[in-house]
Amino acid sequence: MFSLSQIPERGDLLLVTDELASPADFVLHANLATHLKDSSKDARCIVLSVSGSLSRWKTLATKSNLNVPNLIAKGSLVFIDIEADLEELHSASRPSLRHIFDRLVSILQDEDHTSDHTLLIVDDISTLEWICFSTQEVSRFVRALSAACDKTNTSLIIRHHVITPGNPDELLRLLLQISAYRIDVFPLSTGRSGSVSGQIALHPGPGRTGLKTIPRSKAVLYRLTDTSSTFFDRGTGAAVL
Amino acid sequence: MSSFKRRSTKQTLTPPGTRILLGSTSNLITSTGIPSLDDILGGGLPLSCSQLILAPDVHSAYGELVQKYFVVQGLAAGQAVCVINEGARSFLEGCMWLPGANSLPASINSAGPGREDEEDESSQKHDAKIKIAWRYEQMKQFQTSVSSSTQSADDFCRVFDLTSRLPVSTIDAALSAKQLVIFDVPISDSAMATTRSMLKHISDFLVTYEEEQKEVATPLRICIPGLGSPAWGDIEPQVICYFLYAFRSLLRTHPHVCASISLPPHLCIEKWGGPGWVQKLGWLSDASLSLTAFSANPSLTALFPTYHGFVHIHSLPAPSTLVSPSDKYSMLRGLTSSGENNLAFKCMRKRLIFETLHLDVEGGIGERRMPPAAATVTVGGLAHDHSSHGHGGAASIQVQVEEVQNKVELVSVAEDAAQGKTEAVTTSSFVKKPKHRKKVAFTSDRPDLYDF
Repeated sequence: MFSLSQIPERGDLLLVTDELASPADFVLHANLATHLKDSSKDARCIVLSVSGSLSRWKTLATKSNLNVPNLIAKGSLVFIDIEADLEELHSASRPSLRHIFDRLVSILQDEDHTSDHTLLIVDDISTLEWICFSTQEVSRFVRALSAACDKTNTSLIIRHHVITPGNPDELLRLLLQISAYRIDVFPLSTGRSGSVSGQIALHPGPGRTGLKTIPRSKAVLYRLTDTSSTFFDRGTGAAVL
Repeated sequence: MSSFKRRSTKQTLTPPGTRILLGSTSNLITSTGIPSLDDILGGGLPLSCSQLILAPDVHSAYGELVQKYFVVQGLAAGQAVCVINEGARSFLEGCMWLPGANSLPASINSAGPGREDEEDESSQKHDAKIKIAWRYEQMKQFQTSVSSSTQSADDFCRVFDLTSRLPVSTIDAALSAKQLVIFDVPISDSAMATTRSMLKHISDFLVTYEEEQKEVATPLRICIPGLGSPAWGDIEPQVICYFLYAFRSLLRTHPHVCASISLPPHLCIEKWGGPGWVQKLGWLSDASLSLTAFSANPSLTALFPTYHGFVHIHSLPAPSTLVSPSDKYSMLRGLTSSGENNLAFKCMRKRLIFETLHLDVEGGIGERRMPPAAATVTVGGLAHDHSSHGHGGAASIQVQVEEVQNKVELVSVAEDAAQGKTEAVTTSSFVKKPKHRKKVAFTSDRPDLYDF
């Protein structure tokens, strides 16, 4: 059965795409909880929050038995909120993400908090492109971030919102080129259902053959609860329905 | 000394016009002024969240109507309200108000289309009286709209009457008491400068507002009925996105503030903002709905005569859960039993309602009974064959009529003799119109396949 804990592997970039009717928040929250609970004791997670608020991350993590304030105080969890820095980023004549990138690199290379395994989550890359940053600027940021994570053996998860299904935009094309795997979360074609929240497909990146992938035609269904998700194959209730 | 202790429930004080969100004790919700919209949102709009109402039809102003409900609900519940618009005063003067407070002249009230409410109520009563088969009696009745009984008299959601107007004295009193604040759109060199200046203005206002609050803070509603209107300058999609994003992050830092925003109709379509524009707006706001009115499409108006437009839900607030509370608690969306119901809205004389879209009685035809076809001409005792007229059609219709014996009825009417009136036996006879039984069949010009 499909499990989110298999991916990403160390140093890999996992691309998560979702649509408005089926947000992939649950993938990010599940990865955060799995990484901090299941990995070795010195596991570290950095969350670059573009759209989500810290209070929501805290509330959802609490339901997975994670004490976010404690983790932040310990240095196991670093939360960077772009919303707070937006005014500063935007006040320049040409909005730039350089400041954020430098900050992330300094955290990744911080010798005081050396970690065996670090995970970096960017919860929404599309919004940056929509608000004030040019596509070129966001593409450069993603490319540089991917390279920095590769150097430091850090796993990277980036979420991108698909607003024109079937017609990938420029940023998505770049992300598809550099990602190791892509988790594709999309809604049911028949509309919203009370029992099934959406579907998940897993596509390999260029040159990747390690994991068993799931094509869109055989996508796994999922059902969300308040705090977690359950996966089951198409055509089977699997004690869910 | 007895060890008995009286168990007393400690009552938590909630700010005026708010409730605790179902399924999450840490969030407060407030009403939008429309009970059915509250139901769609999962009980109401959570504080620190924003709703975006898109009404792409240029011939109507349903988006503005929802904003007016949002404002008057705040005023009626004793909450603070901030209206950001270039014509805020006239916007407020056009708002509805509590029933009977300041009604419009009777001549307008009794105008033609205004019978819908009464008809609706009478049909509801009629439906309640219908005797149904015993085996289905125990089943819960399928509800297509939020019943008015849920509109309690408390401050959470007041009942407003579209025929009443918000009194000018109430507006003035609210303005002088600082319950109502009006912001004009600042004039700047560019739309981005206007947007940033407005955001700064709102941010400063929120800081001062929170400082003034006491132990139980009064919620503040921010209403922007026309974001991106000409007063905002040469607006671009990126500027609207920037405003929505920055405004949402501002709201998140103020737990007692909520907001409702509408865009002018021409900005609500993909043609203006590019591919995926409505999706972008949905991602950038906590709750996003489209009210697509039928007024531009005569075929839809004819198909659904009792509705005024479709309701499309793009996003719904989920402040502390993965699933929106609406998915579990909304009656109208019906997700607890199966897939999502189709939703529509109708604006009647006194109120705006969101409800489940369903066809009328007789499958979409407005009349309950078909009127007799005036065009049908019956010829007594004769078979009327179109083929005899020499039409070259491939098929024809035969109408055969059988005569029914006329019955003569004698009716005796006896008047009361005690009243001293003359007793008379009136024998009146009336002949009922001949009742014809019709038989309709299709015949073909050509011989049937098996006709030898």
